Amino acid sequence: MVLPTEMRRQGTVGAIATFLVLFVIYLVLKGGHFSAFDLKTLCMNVLPLALVALGQFFIVMNNGIDLSLGPVMSVAGAVAALSFPTSVPGAIILALGVAALGGVCNGILVVNLRLPPILATLATMSVFQGVALVILPSPGGTVPSGLTDSLTHGLDWASTPLLLLVAATIVAWWIMSTPFGLWLRAIGGDEAGTLSSGVPVRAVKFSSYVIGAVLAGLGGLYLAIATASGSPTIGDSFILLSIAAVVLGGVSISGGRGSPVGVVLGALTLTIIGRLLYFAGLSSFYQSLINGVILVSVVGVVVVREKLVHFLREWRHAG
Amino acid sequence: MLSYEAIDKDFGATHAVINVTLDAEPGVVLGLVGENGAGKSTLLKIAGGIIRQDRGKLNLDGKPVSGLGPAGALAHGIVSVFQELTLVRSLTVAENLFLPAPPRRAWLSIDQGRLEADARVLLDHFDVHVSPDALVGDLPLGQQQMVEIVRAINRRPRVLLLDEATAALGAAEVEWLKHIVESERRRGAIILFISHRWEEITAFCQRVAIMRNGQLVTVADVGDMSHDRAVELMTGARLGGVFPTKRSPSGQALLEAQGLVSEVLDHVDLRLAKGEILGIGGLVGQGQDALLKSLFGDHPLNAGKITLAGEALDLRSPADAIGRRIAYVPQERKVEGLLLQKSIGANLSFAILPRISRFPGFIDRREERRIVSEAIERLKVRVSSGGQPVAELSGGNQQKVLLHKWLLTEPIVLLLNDVTRGVDIGTKTQIYAIIAELAASGMGIILYSTDAHELVELAHRVLVMTEGRIRAELAEDRLTAEEIVRASTRIEEANGAAN
Repeated sequence: MVLPTEMRRQGTVGAIATFLVLFVIYLVLKGGHFSAFDLKTLCMNVLPLALVALGQFFIVMNNGIDLSLGPVMSVAGAVAALSFPTSVPGAIILALGVAALGGVCNGILVVNLRLPPILATLATMSVFQGVALVILPSPGGTVPSGLTDSLTHGLDWASTPLLLLVAATIVAWWIMSTPFGLWLRAIGGDEAGTLSSGVPVRAVKFSSYVIGAVLAGLGGLYLAIATASGSPTIGDSFILLSIAAVVLGGVSISGGRGSPVGVVLGALTLTIIGRLLYFAGLSSFYQSLINGVILVSVVGVVVVREKLVHFLREWRHAG
Repeated sequence: MLSYEAIDKDFGATHAVINVTLDAEPGVVLGLVGENGAGKSTLLKIAGGIIRQDRGKLNLDGKPVSGLGPAGALAHGIVSVFQELTLVRSLTVAENLFLPAPPRRAWLSIDQGRLEADARVLLDHFDVHVSPDALVGDLPLGQQQMVEIVRAINRRPRVLLLDEATAALGAAEVEWLKHIVESERRRGAIILFISHRWEEITAFCQRVAIMRNGQLVTVADVGDMSHDRAVELMTGARLGGVFPTKRSPSGQALLEAQGLVSEVLDHVDLRLAKGEILGIGGLVGQGQDALLKSLFGDHPLNAGKITLAGEALDLRSPADAIGRRIAYVPQERKVEGLLLQKSIGANLSFAILPRISRFPGFIDRREERRIVSEAIERLKVRVSSGGQPVAELSGGNQQKVLLHKWLLTEPIVLLLNDVTRGVDIGTKTQIYAIIAELAASGMGIILYSTDAHELVELAHRVLVMTEGRIRAELAEDRLTAEEIVRASTRIEEANGAAN
């Protein structure tokens, strides 16, 4: 298989182009220099979004959606911050386990009880927000300072956040290259056809919710460690951002098409847009407004583009 | 041996399969024939694990194989090829061929090189000239069907279920499939084959099972069954009195369409006179649906002119068409036509809400009740009251409610989209009588039907469509079921010649 063909088919080319354009604008505004420190900062900023967006990616690929991933991050971060003093590895396992449990809840609602994903995860979103507030009513908890340092320090060009970002992308890429990844793409393309092809559709969909939640949990864990505390509301802004990153990454919102590389680039693009707003001197209150506008514009552009492509094809056929 | 034992299956109020007991033996191709809605596909879908029977047993070599689901059925060697394609259009040919289990490398990744090489070998072996790397959605329908057949055979089926697998194939490809089926048969596979074309049944099958209205009528050796006899058994030897007598139309032009072009339609012209029943025929999915919907403002046209009684129409939505007193009765009554959970009364009055609305937006309930009770009287439906939910009615009665819902709009043009499909013969007779009566009263009716016999008996003229075009206009002496079928399948001769 030719890689460029595959990238075009999975919508990654657009994601690369968008990222490059914004990155160039960002560089110009920064006066043209991009140091190892800038790279590390960028990676630190993008990592939690990239992780949760990769989680969202696996769910969107099979035509699902998960609004609860943001709050799953909050819960995982809160659980970790509360249990770090007992045992660090234990806290990490517990946080990811709780996140996975959240994914299992979504899986049961969507796959077993057949609730529409947007409705089911809207409900669990609220539930997980509540859980986070109950276990950690205000930002706090304890994170060992050594753990925080290990993330922020490290080599400049091979900083921990960069390595984690690359590792997460590779793992996601690998998952998509297995039969499981093929099944995900197939379900998003045509669920009924995939089912009658003998694919265990329900198990695959269920797993996608669990994988998504675990990745969101990792994002929440990272945030808790990086900020040296848990916060019950820290994940809320990621509800929309994770979906926006997926869409910016060239993933079809109805599933079947997309790549993890595109999603990570989508997350990078959004992070850079955030930096650009900062340069422009806009207050952070505008961030939420802008994020919403971005999501609608990107989805709008995708829809218009698909219609245009369709129209051109028809026109060529007719001519 | 695959044995169906006393199988029953209902879909809502419709009995799709009633007490069918049928054995299919290895090394024999068993053909299933019957009209649309006779229950053939349902039987195959039960074996393929797509749906589960309500009652009865299904055994393969004495072991129960009920309710396995598609994956479970495949694991037992039961492989289906359906009329609705089950390939995933957004995946490549190679990916589809080896779904669900593509060749893998040691670390679980799909071995793309081997996937494509294996696919190429497989396609070459079956003489299918398609690139393994092509997206299935980019292939013409016939090639998609061939890829699906190759995939099915590659699974080495013990049971091969072919549900109108030839519908999208040209003559040369049907011949291709015949060789494949023959070699599978000699290998000892159990093969069930559904087709609406009798010549395919005689070419492919040794035994034939004839179904009617969900019941198995008979099973016989193909050699002992003539086409005429089969048709008689399929249709239940149509007794006199089912079809009303035709009355000639007035000849006064009512609706005219010129050069309709859309994604589906290819320069379609038609004219309809007052009191005329214009039939539309052809194989399923040749643009008949789009034609009717375009006349109802529900199918976007790129070009073309529609005039009603000499006046040009610009139909942008069904509301425009209803305003011009054009009514459309859809085929999928559950999807397009009725609010199943609502009462009969609510369904009936739904289309005439504007007429019974009073300033500033209230509904005149008394007027509504009067109209509804009148309609129920005419419907001859046994109902407990107009408040009964439509879902509780039988399929045939639902169809009558739907028809009357549109008649309440007092249309001058009535578009009927295969309205008798899956309806029992008694209700059909009533619907036919209603159609004839409406035409006699001066309404213009366009009737699309998959039942050629019905077109011949009801319509004054029949337009046969293939691939979005009108292929033939049949009237008077040439208006016979054979001519309709011949015109419908002419495209295949053209395809065959091209290959």
